[in-house]
Amino acid sequence: MTLILQQLVEGLASGTIYAALAVALVMIHRATRIVNFAQGEMATFCVYLAWQMTVWGLPLYVALAIAAVLSFILGAAVFRLAIRPILSAPPEAIVVSCIGLFIGFQAMSLWLWGSDNLQFPRLFSNTIWTIADVRISANTAGMLVTLALLAGLLAAMFRFTRIGLAMRAAAAEREKSPYVGIEVETMLTLGWGLAAVFGFIAAVLAAPSLFLSPTMMLSVIIYALAAATLGGWDSPAGAIVGGLVVGVAETLGTTLVKAIGAELRLAIPFLLITLILFVRPQGLFGRSGTTRV
Amino acid sequence: MNALEIHGLSAGYGGQPIVRDIRLTVGTGEIVALLGANGAGKTTTLRAASGVLRHSGKLHLDGQDISGVSAARRVALGLAHVPQGRGTFVDFSVEENLRLGAYSVTSAQRIQDDTAYWFGVFPRLKERRAQLAGSLSGGEQQMLAIARAMMTRPKVLMCDEPSLGLAPAVTADLFVLLRDLAADRGTGILIVEQNAHLTLEIAARAYVLEHGEIAIEGSAATLSRNSEIQRAYLGIEA
Amino acid sequence: MRRPTLRPALLGLAAFAALACVPAVLPGFMVFQASIALTYAIAILGLNLLMGFNGQVSLAQGVFFAIGGYVVAILMVDYAVPVWLALAAAVAGNAILGALVGIPALRLQGLQLAILTLVLAALVPPLVMRFDKITKGTSGISIDKPEPPAWLPLDQDSFVYFLCLAGAGLCVLVMSQLIHGETGRMLRAVRDNPVIAESFGVHVARTRIATFATSAAFGGFAGGLFALVNAFVSPDSFQLFKSFEFLAGAIIGGITSMTGAFIGAVIVVFLPEWSSHISLAMAGLIYGGTLVVMMLVAREGVAGLIGKTLSRAGAASLSMASQTKPHPKPETRTMVLAEKE
Repeated sequence: MTLILQQLVEGLASGTIYAALAVALVMIHRATRIVNFAQGEMATFCVYLAWQMTVWGLPLYVALAIAAVLSFILGAAVFRLAIRPILSAPPEAIVVSCIGLFIGFQAMSLWLWGSDNLQFPRLFSNTIWTIADVRISANTAGMLVTLALLAGLLAAMFRFTRIGLAMRAAAAEREKSPYVGIEVETMLTLGWGLAAVFGFIAAVLAAPSLFLSPTMMLSVIIYALAAATLGGWDSPAGAIVGGLVVGVAETLGTTLVKAIGAELRLAIPFLLITLILFVRPQGLFGRSGTTRV
Repeated sequence: MNALEIHGLSAGYGGQPIVRDIRLTVGTGEIVALLGANGAGKTTTLRAASGVLRHSGKLHLDGQDISGVSAARRVALGLAHVPQGRGTFVDFSVEENLRLGAYSVTSAQRIQDDTAYWFGVFPRLKERRAQLAGSLSGGEQQMLAIARAMMTRPKVLMCDEPSLGLAPAVTADLFVLLRDLAADRGTGILIVEQNAHLTLEIAARAYVLEHGEIAIEGSAATLSRNSEIQRAYLGIEA
Repeated sequence: MRRPTLRPALLGLAAFAALACVPAVLPGFMVFQASIALTYAIAILGLNLLMGFNGQVSLAQGVFFAIGGYVVAILMVDYAVPVWLALAAAVAGNAILGALVGIPALRLQGLQLAILTLVLAALVPPLVMRFDKITKGTSGISIDKPEPPAWLPLDQDSFVYFLCLAGAGLCVLVMSQLIHGETGRMLRAVRDNPVIAESFGVHVARTRIATFATSAAFGGFAGGLFALVNAFVSPDSFQLFKSFEFLAGAIIGGITSMTGAFIGAVIVVFLPEWSSHISLAMAGLIYGGTLVVMMLVAREGVAGLIGKTLSRAGAASLSMASQTKPHPKPETRTMVLAEKE
């Protein structure tokens, strides 16, 4: 029992990473019907930027804040330069662009910082609490709190602010939005920027445990895809729940199911996606009819 | 000075012009009808005027040249458009629809006042303020669409087939509302309608589009009297 | 003014003859790469069939490619099966597997299938590692390249190249049989209007599954040939990235063009190579950037672009089928009125 609880806690920790990246994917998909699988590589690049700034002597949290702003700019710029011009092109063309971005950003990180694993500073203290034999680290707690905070902020923004409402409108009703004075492309650009920030946060949470390398997010994106599919591709809340479920399923599955084990941990997202697609294709939080392509 | 002046407006889809050389005016507080057969280019004219469709020609709103201005900016300047069909954001609550309508309004106080005002005009909407717009009846949605468009306190309101799919009694209510808007608030209103008969009752003037060009213009009274025109262009058997 | 009177078959033959000169003209290393490009072209041809006619974006081609590679390697090395039989097994095995994958795939929409197959493709290396008793894990399997018969004055690499060329030629023939004539009409009917196709007695689901199976068989065949060219298979050769490359190659070339499959294959094989000549450090950046820029200038694929420019010279006659794209949105007016009446 303790073992299971312990795995549950570990799973929630990695789940926060998947959730944050899944939120980024869902935000972009909701607004532009694109699955940006270069999101992880873009995020890794920005974590490298943050790391570089700490090497130059900036305090960690300052470096993170600056890198988050740069992520936003990067996401917005990628949309304006590479995606917006082909937004009306066949979906396959956009897929190739994303592959190009994927290769390009990975290569850029490799070129500037090399392929060695770099130690990324921990964000939270090393304290470990033991509650009923289950060890909970301050790191795990910190990650969960971070995610909860971000999710709350995002929800509040979408719900209560003028810009958030406009972003939702631009995503849901691209045709009608200009009739109320919303510049749709500006909103989509903001959406891509914001998504890039979420991707960046996912990568920052992942970096201390996965070590910083150009391919750090390669497997994370797989879990995030599973999380987004599980939650529903139009629901940020679903993405968060999906991320946590995928995280827990991963740790429980690899410890409890011998046939899977550590080697085949990537089978878990695959099985989850298969399951959800045949049981409830629109995802747990998705509404049917919105899964159109 | 006219609230809206359109000169030599041409527009179409994929390089193929649908409407050519449209010239029309809407005065302050005046209701103008844009009539014509199915496919004559009425909707295209409105879409071009509101800027969601690329066009050539000149538009002036309250004397200001808005020809090169984006659709979103035109809304902020006071040109409102209730598009055909459901002009509401169906996945958003009634209240959110009004907030969206007020997107280009910066004063929070004004938004609050106007929301209260429109809830006063449409108590049904107030009751359903937290409901999704998509769950409202056709008539309620049309009311919401107009309230939404009025949140910017526009100089000109363009309505595309507001009576479409509505019961006759609801349509009558709607037309009374439009007449009051023009009379009480001085809003210039441009209505596109299939239902020529009813529209001519509240309109001061009318234009008739044929094959993308303005074929006739005149006072509503003249048009209603001329049975020749009615038969030829408006499908009304006198 | 020249009229497009040249038969596509003649053009194809000319292209084939030109490709046959490659070993004589190019240096050894490039012959190796050209062979790899041919195997890619075969995999891409299969992917084109799936995307062009089922309208499904799949990242599973890398999976079938990997299975084909391993089937050939294991049969040849562990069971001493002759080359042709091993290749046939790779084709048959993948066709069956493709049909099995195709059945559930019928129920999935574009995005869903793309994601599922992407994750499946990522799962290949871990699966290879998990079953290392058969696959030899990371150490991989070395294969003896097939020897040219004594009467042929060819070195081993050139022989393998010709083997691939023959394979590619065969695939092009099979493909043109499929997309022209009665079968092609059926495929297009299923793609463009499944309901009407069904009413004319075409079994839509069966046709789609068959398309999936054929596409997978192409992938398996390509993977088998790849194992021969490379003389070695290991998880490294079958990373998720391979599926990305096939997809990119297919789309860059143009998904409805057979010529495009070859152009796309050449681009994804040689572009990284060329960019590393420009700058080793920035190779990936140039590669990735080129893909992005390519889509900005030629969204319908390079073959489409070339086809448009050369259409008068008849070069476009190799193109598979005119891509019928329905207008994104019919005029709302007519729709609404139709409902009312």
